[in-house]
Amino acid sequence: MDKIYSSVIESLIFASDEPIANTIIMNAIKEIDGTDTEISADDIETAVDELNKKYELNEQSFSILRIANGFIYATKPEYGKYLGYLSSEKSKRRLSQASLETLAIIAYKQPITKPELEAIRGVNSDYTLNTLLEKNLVTIKGRADTVGRPLLYCTTDEFLKYFGINKLTDLPKPREIEEIMKDEDFIEQKRKIMMNEIEENLELEIENNEQDENGNQAE
Amino acid sequence: MYKVKLSHFEGPLDLLLFFIRRDEVDIYDIPIARITKEFVEYLKLLKQLDLEVAGDFILMAATLMQIKVKMLLPREIDEKGEEIDPRADLVKALIEYKRYKEVSEEMSFLESNQRKMAYRSNFENDYKENPVELDVLLKNITLYDLMKAFKKVLMDRKDEVFHKIVKLNVSIDEQIDYIMDKLEVKPQIDFVSLVKEMTDKIRIIVTFIALLELIKMGRIGLRESPNFNDFEIYRLSNG
Repeated sequence: MDKIYSSVIESLIFASDEPIANTIIMNAIKEIDGTDTEISADDIETAVDELNKKYELNEQSFSILRIANGFIYATKPEYGKYLGYLSSEKSKRRLSQASLETLAIIAYKQPITKPELEAIRGVNSDYTLNTLLEKNLVTIKGRADTVGRPLLYCTTDEFLKYFGINKLTDLPKPREIEEIMKDEDFIEQKRKIMMNEIEENLELEIENNEQDENGNQAE
Repeated sequence: MYKVKLSHFEGPLDLLLFFIRRDEVDIYDIPIARITKEFVEYLKLLKQLDLEVAGDFILMAATLMQIKVKMLLPREIDEKGEEIDPRADLVKALIEYKRYKEVSEEMSFLESNQRKMAYRSNFENDYKENPVELDVLLKNITLYDLMKAFKKVLMDRKDEVFHKIVKLNVSIDEQIDYIMDKLEVKPQIDFVSLVKEMTDKIRIIVTFIALLELIKMGRIGLRESPNFNDFEIYRLSNG
């Protein structure tokens, strides 16, 4: 790949407001310089890495990030507070715990219907879903073929941008159930339960001796 | 309308996980009687505040009680001839929920990292507006309170039985000045006494509109009044 393409790639990414995919970059170059121009996705990756190295060396305040299957310029975290000063209160608000939970479930189970989502959360999710739809973090991708043809929900590219990830597989993985069970936390808990049970039985005995009232303890 | 958020529990499963964690019980061997009791106690508190959310909690309480009953009965047996633990479904749901709750915690971490970085065109639709904070402008007072006070003033006004044709000689701007003049003398004034001397209905209405206008401009704020169906108007330092 010619050195010049490094600058072409830089300018294309710089001019783009949204993450720009490598296919778009390749198309642009081939349209202008002829379809036989040799440029591959790997070339672009290399060019971006080199550009980032250059910025690092020059102590620039920004770098190119790989977000939502594309490239986009972003400022470095250390300047966040200054930039935050300029943005509105509304955009400073973080997502609620309910929103995060809902997003986590949708991200892994998509496409997912509202009843499926609510079955996992155990709570009505109308309001949360609407907020997420409004924020464009979630979108409706058709209907399921099951009874009632419920709507199917998926995450958006905006979702990837919001969490700063390139593709869905980059998300933290939910632990397997066995793994949760092997958790030291749980083993520790189990050990304490044994202790608790002994104590509890003792207490129960004393209680029973003092008064003849049971019924609360169905176990 | 206004909603009271009781706690950080996102739902019945979240609450159950909290109990399990707090009491350090084994998720595979939940002491159903104890947990049910605690759950129902919490539910009583919740019911007083937010019926809609309580719906999901009531369902869970019913499920817990059903499990509790089943625990006392001889166990059902599945096709393999093994006993079915009545708690199995609940445990499955709890663990499934826990998995995603954990992920959501990690996502929260990603979120806070990403928030420190700004993408290009970040301010396009997001320039900073005047820092008008609702809490400052409306202290402990809701739209409903305003409505009630306004209605009361209109209702209490005595209708005089005569007909007179008068030119409207009152404007919002005038009433804004009037209110600000009043606030010049006293730092705060309550709504009822502000409009007490006004005999014209239209003057009261225009004054009320002027009030709303002043709040919008951020020059005054409103807060609860000790008097019933009334509110206090106070001057803001930047006004």
